Amino acid sequence: MTSEPPANEPPQLVEHFFRHESAKLVAVLTRAFGVRHLDLVEDKVQEAMMAAVETWSRRGTPKHPGGWIYRVARNRVLDTLRREKIHRRALALAQQTEAGIEALVDDWLADDRLPDSLLRMMFVCCHPALDRRSQLALTLKILCGFSLAEIARGLLMSVEATKKRVQRAKKTLEQHQIRVELPEATELQERLAAVHQVLYLMFNEGYSTSQGHEPLRDDICEEAARLCHLLCEHEAFSTPDSRALLALMLAHAARLDARVDADGAAVLLAAQDRSRWSQPMIAMAERWLLRSKTEAPSRFHLEAAIALVHCRAPRVEATDWRLIVKFYDRLLALHASPLYALNRAVARGEAGDVESAMTELEALRDHRELRGYFLLDCAIGRLHELAENPTAAAAAYSAARAIARAPHEQALLEKKLRRLSSS
Amino acid sequence: MAKFMFLMRGDCTQAAEMSPEQKQQTMQEYGAWFQDGMQAGWLLDTGNGLDADGRVVHPDQTVTDGPFAESKELVGGYMLVEAADYDTAVELVKGSPMVKGGSTIEVRKLAENAME
Repeated sequence: MTSEPPANEPPQLVEHFFRHESAKLVAVLTRAFGVRHLDLVEDKVQEAMMAAVETWSRRGTPKHPGGWIYRVARNRVLDTLRREKIHRRALALAQQTEAGIEALVDDWLADDRLPDSLLRMMFVCCHPALDRRSQLALTLKILCGFSLAEIARGLLMSVEATKKRVQRAKKTLEQHQIRVELPEATELQERLAAVHQVLYLMFNEGYSTSQGHEPLRDDICEEAARLCHLLCEHEAFSTPDSRALLALMLAHAARLDARVDADGAAVLLAAQDRSRWSQPMIAMAERWLLRSKTEAPSRFHLEAAIALVHCRAPRVEATDWRLIVKFYDRLLALHASPLYALNRAVARGEAGDVESAMTELEALRDHRELRGYFLLDCAIGRLHELAENPTAAAAAYSAARAIARAPHEQALLEKKLRRLSSS
Repeated sequence: MAKFMFLMRGDCTQAAEMSPEQKQQTMQEYGAWFQDGMQAGWLLDTGNGLDADGRVVHPDQTVTDGPFAESKELVGGYMLVEAADYDTAVELVKGSPMVKGGSTIEVRKLAENAME
């Protein structure tokens, strides 16, 4: 099948080669054969990769590994369609001959044309016919090449539930006869906003519960940033919001490594070793935020700005909390989220205004969305600490520990309580 | 010394559920093991992986689709190894990334060694 000479070197591929190759080929082949053959395309791409595992491990990596997998996958898709006698119809539907499809796909796979297919596929996965969580699962599967088991782990769902969700989503796409194309100008803004939401959610899923022993979560963050970067490299999609979202992701990603100590335990922002923050990534975040200027800043702009205030502070004491309070004021004006209100109150407390911060937090207690939310008690604990009231602080942290669910969150609270009782 | 055929058996649906990332890692591990075997000299031929598809030709000249065995026992690949005896061959298999990764390997001595 391959004419490449056997290599004497052990197989060496760039990091995540298979993952990104999988996304590429599924996007391009689905574009060629239509969303109704998405399952078939995915299966054949995975089979081709298994063939690569068997062959390359024995004979070395071919000179053009991507082309090798593509040819095997394409031939297998065509074989299956031929066998199922739907070949002619599939080609007719695609308004192509077999040779025509090959020429098209070759063209689409060229480096400079490839982002176009990936972006089309992003809009398919984030199609409004699907609910947000299905959009997210499908994006993780198709554009990030995660397995169902990995997606289940990343989204804290069972494998069975994840599988069902993905299958249902594919069926919906087929029923709606969704085409692999970019949105029309009239719906561009709305469709792009949906993609932003999915990428934001993806990054958050990876980031919010990330722990040292789960490198998968870092990968999810990295993939979200990679896809967002694709948007920012495209003329029509590189909007101020896209750029601000990328800045936001980079500013948070810069701190990923410092969030875990040598023992794999989570470390909160205030206690992080800031020399471990990635300065190049922070600089990139700053640049993208500068390039995202607009008359109407989105929450991505403001959240990125807040993250960068933290990034710029050489020590936690040097944090410009007053500036952070101002950004939260603007966020609240955009969207009256109790989480923003909670964070603003903490920032206000850190800025020295503990009393009014406490009043604000107490007012949030009755908020429906925050009921049973352990971070509210954490925030109250922190304010009591700032007011030098260790007994009340310990009580609040204990209350938080009682409702925290994730083990690393409980471990963090445990640590806080121990520190309070020893001082 | 005798020659042995190693037959890799395993459930191909299991392999299909591996993520691309896991496949890449598997490839690196297999590759390193084949490399070691060739350098140490006990691996005579790295052999090949086998397609999950197949045809079966019967004595009455009829041909059926698909390999003979149950998918769980499907032969997914083979290689040729030189070893002193079954015990030595089995030890080689135990150290392989295939077995560690959940595959089963069948070890069969080549009949040409029957005289030794």
